[in-house]
Amino acid sequence: MQGPTIVIGVIGSDCHAVGNKILENVFSRAGFNVVNLGVMVSQDEYIDAAIETGAQAIIIGSIYGHGEIDCIGMRDRCIERGLDGIPLYVGGNLVIGKRDFKDVEVIFMGMGFDRVFPPDVDLDAVCQFLHQDTAAYAKHREAEATA
Amino acid sequence: MIAVSIDIGSTWTKGALFEVEGGDLTLKKRAIHPTTIQHLAIGFFEVLNDLLGSEHAIERVRSGEVSLSYSSSAKGGLAVAALGLVPSITLESARVAAYSAGAKVTQIFSYRLTRSDIRALESNPPDILLFAGGTDGGDVGHVLHNAELLAKSNVACSIVYAGNRAAQDDIVELLGHKDLVVVDNVLPSLDEPNPDPARKAMRDIFLKRIVKGKGLDEIIEATGAEPLPTPYAVYEYAKLIHEKIPGWSDFILMDMGGATTDIYSAHNQIQESGTILRGLPEPEVKRTVEGDLGMRVSAHVASETGRPMIEEHFAHDAERIAAFYSYIEKVTLEPDYLPEDQEGKDFDTLLAGVCAAYACERHAGRSTVVYTCDGSVDVVTGRDLTHVSKVIGSGGWMSRASHFDVSAWLKLRAVDQKGRTVLLPGNVEYFRDEQYLFPLLANLARNFPEAAAFAGIRMLSHS
Repeated sequence: MQGPTIVIGVIGSDCHAVGNKILENVFSRAGFNVVNLGVMVSQDEYIDAAIETGAQAIIIGSIYGHGEIDCIGMRDRCIERGLDGIPLYVGGNLVIGKRDFKDVEVIFMGMGFDRVFPPDVDLDAVCQFLHQDTAAYAKHREAEATA
Repeated sequence: MIAVSIDIGSTWTKGALFEVEGGDLTLKKRAIHPTTIQHLAIGFFEVLNDLLGSEHAIERVRSGEVSLSYSSSAKGGLAVAALGLVPSITLESARVAAYSAGAKVTQIFSYRLTRSDIRALESNPPDILLFAGGTDGGDVGHVLHNAELLAKSNVACSIVYAGNRAAQDDIVELLGHKDLVVVDNVLPSLDEPNPDPARKAMRDIFLKRIVKGKGLDEIIEATGAEPLPTPYAVYEYAKLIHEKIPGWSDFILMDMGGATTDIYSAHNQIQESGTILRGLPEPEVKRTVEGDLGMRVSAHVASETGRPMIEEHFAHDAERIAAFYSYIEKVTLEPDYLPEDQEGKDFDTLLAGVCAAYACERHAGRSTVVYTCDGSVDVVTGRDLTHVSKVIGSGGWMSRASHFDVSAWLKLRAVDQKGRTVLLPGNVEYFRDEQYLFPLLANLARNFPEAAAFAGIRMLSHS
């Protein structure tokens, strides 16, 4: 059976493609059906693709330091577009300057992201989280549907 | 061999007789009669008899002595309503498929249908509802909701389901009592458009059911030959020229009529360095239709669409602008009017320039410069036609106008309203379908593909 569908891409005006290719490779090998939007992806493009493909998670990458401004309002936009109850992940070089990752995590969690990862995260751990979270969200949706 | 081609248009039924020898094709005779809207077969047989000049015209076709091919865009052509999920994704894929099948897209719907959408479909029924939504294995919730509403409705047109494969069985259960055809998804995955199965299904429905409603079945019975929607034939013809004629892999074909302007472009999209492509992949041959841009029936709406360009053209001289608009009122009421005086001719040229420029602008893609930490990057969406060097003008007015400078008009739409670059060519070579043979040659191409493609290009007048 095919694993959960996930949408990945590099957000904003960021055209760094290498990390994105690595993520596609790792997630595919881990059994996910990866919809890769490539680089320079807007918030709406992630959401459009997730609606159309019935994706169970959106994973946003950002390397160039402007992730904070690009990601503001992503969760609100998902809700506004009817894409409620989907795990949102973000990772990479998310902010400019030497800031403690704990602070960065707080900022992105505050925006409604479920998981926030630093650039040196172990991707196997990310896959574990993804399996866990997509299953939990699915269970939650089922419970809501039967209620 | 003698080959006859006939095109039943909304006003005129036009025909031509060709002699085909090997790969060569020669025009021998033409005929034209007013289209008999009440009974399309009458006008058709008048043209056929004119061309074959005998009482035995039908027998000669039936015996195989004369090869007959014909098309029709009369009685509204092929009206399709397109339904998708996300507007820029499956709705767009459905629209592209419908246009390539020669359809006029009369209504569009995305996400969940509402009760008023259903009422709109019931009160203004299309010939076909093209029902898409979800990539394969993708969203099913929206398509099932839409299917449930359609199942309960009085929508009686043919429905082509070309959405998520995972929902096919449920769709058959829900809509089995309707006139339903299920085909492969128009967009099985985001980077793989698949318009052909839906396109073929629409053509088959046109042949099996719609021809009857339009009274074309009588012609099929008498001659044994089947019609195509005219734009379907022209689309195939453009594809043939793109594939077969050296030097013609990239071109734009404009077919400007009284009511609509059709743009076909053939082109292989290549990504250049320093550009990023966004959005759905583009097909090699694409057709779009503008129902608000035309030389007569649509002259009024076209002149409103093009108002900024028109006012600029007259350097904001109120008197001349008023004269132009009163001319537009006149030709809208009198669709057969052809100007004799220079002023009327100039006004028609301006109107044609507006139709050509806006129709091409809507057909072409866009590019915007985005500044990144690696320097500036061009983000391209849609069709990049900047390297296309040939434009063909066809249709009543364009066939006649020998001094039309298409490049000058296209340049006026180099930047769109949002400030994005419109990906249209700068200077092009302009070719004119002087004898207005393209629709007729497109029909002929069904039986004599290469001869028709070469003849079409050979007969163009180059200015």
